[in-house]
Amino acid sequence: MNQNKEFVTINNVTKNFRAFKALDNISFTIQEGEIFGYMGPNGAGKTTTMKILVGLISNFQGEITIGGLRLPKDKDEIHKLLGYLPQNVAFQDWRTIDHALTTFGKLSGLNETQVEDRIPKVLELIGLADVRHKKVSHLSGGMLQKVGLAQALLHEPKLLVLDEPLGGLDPLSRHQFKGIVQKLAEEGATILFSSHILSDVQDVADRIGIISHGRIKQVGTIDELKTRLVHQKTVEVMLSVTSDKWEKLSAVENVSQVTQPQPGIVLLDLKSDADEDQAINDIVAKVVELGIRIRGVWKLEPSLDQIYFNYVSEAEN
Amino acid sequence: MKLGLLFKDELHGFYKSKVMIFLWIGLPVIALLFRFISGASTGQEIPFTLVSSIVVSSIGGTLASVMLAVFLINETNRHVYDLFLIRPIRRRDIILSKFLSVYCCVAIASFIAVLAGIVVDFATTGTLSSTVLTDAGQSLANSLSMIAVSCAAGVIIGIVSPSVLVGAILVIYGGNQISVIPLVPTLLNLPEPTILTIVIAGVVAASLLAGAVALFNKKQF
Repeated sequence: MNQNKEFVTINNVTKNFRAFKALDNISFTIQEGEIFGYMGPNGAGKTTTMKILVGLISNFQGEITIGGLRLPKDKDEIHKLLGYLPQNVAFQDWRTIDHALTTFGKLSGLNETQVEDRIPKVLELIGLADVRHKKVSHLSGGMLQKVGLAQALLHEPKLLVLDEPLGGLDPLSRHQFKGIVQKLAEEGATILFSSHILSDVQDVADRIGIISHGRIKQVGTIDELKTRLVHQKTVEVMLSVTSDKWEKLSAVENVSQVTQPQPGIVLLDLKSDADEDQAINDIVAKVVELGIRIRGVWKLEPSLDQIYFNYVSEAEN
Repeated sequence: MKLGLLFKDELHGFYKSKVMIFLWIGLPVIALLFRFISGASTGQEIPFTLVSSIVVSSIGGTLASVMLAVFLINETNRHVYDLFLIRPIRRRDIILSKFLSVYCCVAIASFIAVLAGIVVDFATTGTLSSTVLTDAGQSLANSLSMIAVSCAAGVIIGIVSPSVLVGAILVIYGGNQISVIPLVPTLLNLPEPTILTIVIAGVVAASLLAGAVALFNKKQF
């Protein structure tokens, strides 16, 4: 991943649907070759952002550049760079998978030979090679979603915009899908994808953007978001046996409070200016000194769920 | 040439559709039934060629415009066009390809119906009068002119209507009335009515299509 070059820049973008402000002055960037996870509750503005990026919505305020080209002025050029999987992908019912992919491949600028070459490869990649000539009207929701991904990948786009790509997929397909996304990013594609499933975002995203009520609440790596969220440094110690000596751990330097939420588990809150590594060493030394055996020691960090709910509920309030 | 590709593509979808099968087979059959029923009740044998032309213009235009409007509304509401619009193509090509493919299919259906009329007339009477052939030719030209306007009206209604029901009502009560405009020269007994009909139909259909393209270009998906 080339993290030095910005491939997508969204600068002060606002979009109103009559009186409703769908996007309120949002700004963020996506680096070249990066997988950017876009999270937010229903109606937060994820799909509107994506539709603006792919040119389906053209009347907005603000500036957007993709690969150095400006929207909406350079829309035709930008369309050659991108692949898009909408939230509810739909094809005309009379099409077969092969027919749909042939048409979209050609419309994306591929010639007959390139289309013939790419279709089997893409179908193989997403596991639909054996149903190439099946009508799209006979496909399940999950398979349709895969065909949607296939049409987005056909012309090997530099930017992939995937709106809730994992909805409707079974666990195995979700796993495969994430693998494909990671492989494409390794090959240099820049990927923006939205999802409600936080673990999926955590699995593949290099950076995350959280949007709520049309406003960007946070952008950063998961570690950065954790750091910003954590105000209290806490160390958890799991003891191999329950012991009533745990209260003596409050004597450790830089520990402000000790609690035992359940037998064998001790939580130690550190002072705000404490050196965490030094404090952990001191805690372990004290536990050993007290003659208690340790099963594990670790810093408590918020999960992505906690980060998400914190920022989204903050916006709700 | 994206318009050519889209046109071939749409044609592929339409010519196998159930509506098209009805038009291609059903129109001559309806004309045939109409002729025999009419002949039996009046005791006069109306040339089948003329009956076919009447049936084509009355049913073909309505079906074509309803079909276009319904396809456009359905496909817009299902977000079928999203995958087209994110590709480097002109929006007008999507609209024009749809219009041209339906119009071509209905024109072929009309031609088949009139041809069937000529064949049946020749088979039953053993001869074809030049008057009947001329009337059939003029009638076909009028029909195709009306169908062109009807199709263009179907396109614009399909773009502005929010639902299939509204679209169908607008086509039946509005589109069909507009499609009569090209017949004004015939109704006013103007000289060279057929040529004037074709010209007026071309102008009206082109104006409606230009309006449809402008509206489609502004539409947010």
